[in-house]
Amino acid sequence: MTSESLIWLIPLPPLLAFFLIVLFTNRNKALSHWLALIAAGLSWLAGMVVFVRAVTAEGLSEHPFAQSIPWLPTGSTSLRIGIQIDPLSAVVLFFVAWTVLMIFIYSTGYHNYGQPAGKHDRKGLPPEGAEVKDKKGKILHVPSIEPMYSRFFALISLFAFAMFLLVVTDNLLTLYVGWEIMGLCSYLLIGFWYAKESARKAMIKAFLTTRVGDVFMLLGLAALYSLTGTLNYQEILGNPAVLVQLAGAMSPVLGLSWAALIGILIFIGTVGKSAQFPLHIWLPDAMEGPTPVSAMIHAATMVSAGVYLVIRFFPLLSAGWEPGGAVTTPMLVMGIIGAFTALFAATIAVAQNDVKRVLAYSTISQLGYMIAALGVGAYAAAAFHLVTHAFFKALLFLGSGSIIHGMEHGVLHTGEHIDPQNMLNMGGLRKKMPVTFWTFLIGGLALSGFPLVTAGFWSKDEILSGAFKGGNMGVFIALALAALLTAFYTARQITLTFLGQPRTKAAEHAHESKWTMTLPLVVLSVFAVGAGWAGIPADFPGLGGLIPNWFEEFVGSMLHFEQPEAVHSLVPLFTSLVVALGGLALGWGVYRRLSERVDPLEKPLGGLYTLLKNKYYVDEFYQAAVIRPANWVANVFTYKFLDQTIIDGVLHAIARFGVWLGSGLRNIIDLPVVNGAGDTAAATTRGMGMFLRSKQSGRIQQYMVIAISLLVLAGLVIYFTVGIS
Amino acid sequence: MEFIENHLLTLILFTPTAAALILLFVPGKNVRVFRWGALAASLIPFALTVFAWARFNPVPNPAAPFQFVEQAAWYAAINASYHLGIDGISLPMVLLTTLLTPLALLASFSIKERVKPYMILFLLLETGMLGVFMALDLMLFFVFWEVGLVPMYFLIAQWGGANRNYAALKFVLYTMGGSLGLLLAIQLMGVAVGSFDLVTLAEKWPTIQSLAVPIGVPLETVKTIAFWAFVIAFAIKVPIWPFHTWLPDAHTEAPTAGSMILAGVLLKLGAYGFLRLVLPLFPVEAQRYAWVLAALAVAAIIFGALGAYAQNDFKRLVAYSSINHMGFVVLGVAAAAYTWNATAAQTILDKNIALSGAVLQMFNHGLSAAGMFFLVGVIYERAHTRDLNEMGGLYAILPVYGTVLTFTAMSSLGLPGLNGFVSEFLVVRGVWPIFTLATALSMIGLFFTGAYILKALKLVLHGPLNTRWERHLTDINAREMIVIAPLMVLMLLIGVWPAWLLDVINRAVAFLF
Amino acid sequence: MIPLSWYLIAAAALFCIGLFGVLSRKNAVSILMSVELMLNAVNINLLAFWHYHTQLQGAGQITPQVFVAMVFIVAAAEVAVGLALIISAYRRRETPVVDEMTLLKG
Repeated sequence: MTSESLIWLIPLPPLLAFFLIVLFTNRNKALSHWLALIAAGLSWLAGMVVFVRAVTAEGLSEHPFAQSIPWLPTGSTSLRIGIQIDPLSAVVLFFVAWTVLMIFIYSTGYHNYGQPAGKHDRKGLPPEGAEVKDKKGKILHVPSIEPMYSRFFALISLFAFAMFLLVVTDNLLTLYVGWEIMGLCSYLLIGFWYAKESARKAMIKAFLTTRVGDVFMLLGLAALYSLTGTLNYQEILGNPAVLVQLAGAMSPVLGLSWAALIGILIFIGTVGKSAQFPLHIWLPDAMEGPTPVSAMIHAATMVSAGVYLVIRFFPLLSAGWEPGGAVTTPMLVMGIIGAFTALFAATIAVAQNDVKRVLAYSTISQLGYMIAALGVGAYAAAAFHLVTHAFFKALLFLGSGSIIHGMEHGVLHTGEHIDPQNMLNMGGLRKKMPVTFWTFLIGGLALSGFPLVTAGFWSKDEILSGAFKGGNMGVFIALALAALLTAFYTARQITLTFLGQPRTKAAEHAHESKWTMTLPLVVLSVFAVGAGWAGIPADFPGLGGLIPNWFEEFVGSMLHFEQPEAVHSLVPLFTSLVVALGGLALGWGVYRRLSERVDPLEKPLGGLYTLLKNKYYVDEFYQAAVIRPANWVANVFTYKFLDQTIIDGVLHAIARFGVWLGSGLRNIIDLPVVNGAGDTAAATTRGMGMFLRSKQSGRIQQYMVIAISLLVLAGLVIYFTVGIS
Repeated sequence: MEFIENHLLTLILFTPTAAALILLFVPGKNVRVFRWGALAASLIPFALTVFAWARFNPVPNPAAPFQFVEQAAWYAAINASYHLGIDGISLPMVLLTTLLTPLALLASFSIKERVKPYMILFLLLETGMLGVFMALDLMLFFVFWEVGLVPMYFLIAQWGGANRNYAALKFVLYTMGGSLGLLLAIQLMGVAVGSFDLVTLAEKWPTIQSLAVPIGVPLETVKTIAFWAFVIAFAIKVPIWPFHTWLPDAHTEAPTAGSMILAGVLLKLGAYGFLRLVLPLFPVEAQRYAWVLAALAVAAIIFGALGAYAQNDFKRLVAYSSINHMGFVVLGVAAAAYTWNATAAQTILDKNIALSGAVLQMFNHGLSAAGMFFLVGVIYERAHTRDLNEMGGLYAILPVYGTVLTFTAMSSLGLPGLNGFVSEFLVVRGVWPIFTLATALSMIGLFFTGAYILKALKLVLHGPLNTRWERHLTDINAREMIVIAPLMVLMLLIGVWPAWLLDVINRAVAFLF
Repeated sequence: MIPLSWYLIAAAALFCIGLFGVLSRKNAVSILMSVELMLNAVNINLLAFWHYHTQLQGAGQITPQVFVAMVFIVAAAEVAVGLALIISAYRRRETPVVDEMTLLKG
């Protein structure tokens, strides 16, 4: 099969699986998950074949695998959609295919496939566990299977379809389609346990917050499409003439060029999707969803899609920029927002106790890293970090799911009423869950950028050196601080969870998860280490040059200008070494002797700790500054005031005027004149009738007397007047 | 066969009337006869429309812009004739009408009282609506325009909700009030040009030099007044902000099938009036006042969405969503009006895209609004309440309904991959270069579209289950699935492969404007 | 030879007696009888004129006799119907007095 046909096929199996599960197999749990797994496997297989072919192809960035068909007739032309695999989408496809497959496998274990159904489990709530009798007749509490098991696999299949679609597409419109379908899946999966009030709130928050970005992005799409007449990547981004023209034309907004305006609009889409400040608030709440969802959507794929978009559109965002020159407005914005978010989210992560929330803030922070990298022009580094982050963050999330699972097991066993996600309730899990511990440790070290052996180190180091070379000291310092905090909270997390002594009974009784859950952890941990070796910079002391910096060459070929040889400096390298190791040591040092279920930093930090714990009160601020006013405008202003009072008031006034006019006419003309005349005639007739009536006695003889008298009278009259001739 | 081909439109148009007459004389109280009879009768126009679609040539012929034309003497004294014909704009509307009517009738199987008059009125309503889409004579157009009102009035006033009398009266008075000016303007134009034929009028009226009737006002003023008479009549029907307040009342109080048709087809009559009459007959005036239309459209988009967001009544929320969605249609029309005489290829393309988007949006809104109203009806029939706050967590007991509702709501929300997005994207793309600020502002509305749809889903399906419903609600049944399934299939089909429909619209729009 | 006027005077007197009877009697049967008197007055008139006419013209005419015969027949029928009516009214009202029959009073 040609690569092109194969690429068309990549997204389809999960879509098919989605429809099959929804329409036919949703009552059969085994069939549903097999459908989903086979679909993910097929997509993975096709993805790997395409990836290998892409890697071995010559000059892929100039001549990507591409094919398109007309889709939307517009005037005498039509908008074409199609597929395209170039170096960037190839590497994204690689990590997406892997993480998707791993997470699918993991999900079967996470949702307790093979366990009995719980007696009290209800649809829309997490399973509470079932009671089984062992051989001796003793009642045991064991985890129970998710009541909506099939639904979960249907939804993540749809999600996988959308993600693959987004990756393989060759134009912004289909990307937007995949983008929004992912938004829907994210919404439905965050609210997978929809009967929980918190899940219901979180799902809406996620959808609406990202939609803020999406509507701006839609504007960017419209603008780009109107100006260039196409949305195809190659025709816009691969065509310097178009970019130059866009960068030169002035838009009507704030003196920005069209390229800058469109770039910023598209970037706002990313801000929403990749949870950058100020639209980051949805991601931590999204942890309400099942953990595989957090891993897949909110770490590895969907939030990465936002970064993928800006990497993809970097030629447009940077239109007019030369390496070493002054950055363009969109790049400046990205640098500021990215660096700020990276630091901002990292500080919040320090004070969170929920094992998933820490990871959520860490995701926000790491995504900020990538955005900031783009802001300083470190294109390949951003893409590199995107890939490595996807692997180790998926690993960490799945690991945290495994931890929670183990803790829930302990909670079920002991009947203790504690939050199985709170890290303060854990401790000492290292011995209970060895596979989870070691893989989590690898993930954690990769996240904190542990030198040399982890992927995170190489990608982070590249970003830091990119920021340093780009000469943007503000960004550099912010990112370095963020890296320090990252290492700190990672060490805190690992120490609180796995090291020391168990702080609760549940933690004592936790135990290792099934192989379906640990296998993906192992596979991902291989990538969390190995993925880094694909991008060791050539100027790295000692190791540089031993392995060619394949990644930079491969993905870097997407840009049409040569990266200049920057001044070599050891400052960024030292910085990343110091912050990673220092942060890790600090975290370990502070938390390793913890035995109370209180954070030791709570007292010394005081008010600052409260501020961090409450996430700088951003949610509260939005509640007061945005949501309440919006509700007021909708309820009071638009509905009650505009519609019901003003508009309906005018209508009712017109109606009342009509009634008044009508009754006025009736009282002045109808009643006295028209009715009056008629009534008078009637009354006269009636009066005469009444008079004559009294003359009607009913006595026939009387009538005859009158008749004869009249007859005689008439005869006399005729006789005397006319005469009888 | 030849007869069918030569009188295709007449057959489509009057089959429902004939069926209504037959039902009128069918004795007995067996409701099944009337239900199935009406349904079967309404399927005939649908089958004929599909046949017409197959026979329709999407490439417009400049010599004969309308196809399946029929002309017969009707009212010779005033030069009005029975003139029918369809083109790429009206064909999708006819298809929408003939598709939604059988579905609405099937949805009305739950009507238990006075089934016979209900079915008869419904069939008459179909004729009224179809006539408007097919008429090529202004007099005929007006007659059908008014004919549709009467059955709708009775459907609301007889089978409606608690506040039905107020709603029905508001609906009928408002619309009739709007059509007074329309009638006057039509008569003026007919007398001035000497014909009511649309084809003739479109040729002569825009370039008319003097009026045959001495009114004593400059021609310019007369034309402007006539323009506004047209606009207001259609604006009320669409409805454009601020003429919209009849809509939530009427939609909320109408029976389920009535709301389906009201939102699905009746609103399109107004938008169709803009496309078929206002733009061709008053190009100059339309261009001059296009900004007013655009501003009102944006107001409709924003305030419609905010209004919907403010509701706690499920049906009223959906009703307000119509205002929001139809705003995009008007926005597209306004952009086209503004650029009707553009010569630059780029602007022509923009206008084209905006208008195709507007027409497609009409069709799409017909699908999604009808679907939403139907689903509201499904839940109302079971729970006897429309109050969102009394529902909650229903997904757990109504999984199929929940899935269907989510799907339809996403179509209404404009989720890419479903129909609503294609048209909204086209409108936004087309209007952006013409009315940039308006497009940007309309994004506020688009955002709140998401907000109110999610609010509805949240309060109906998600959250803790209101235990009051636990054993009282049954899931959507087979008949109801048959009603909603064709709509869902079309939503998906248009979302994934819009070309089959858009091609017809696009060619017609490119040819006409 | 008795002149015509005598017959006429007699007939007029008889008519007036009948009329008086009709107008003044309370009993329905008496009224009916008075009506018969009036009818007979007319008959007398008819025959008197017939005789007078025959004498003048010489030629006999049958028409007046036919009229008179007709009047008798009608009178007989009238009495039959009238008496039946009166009896019927009497049965219902238990009175033959006409003054008490005021159903036509307005």
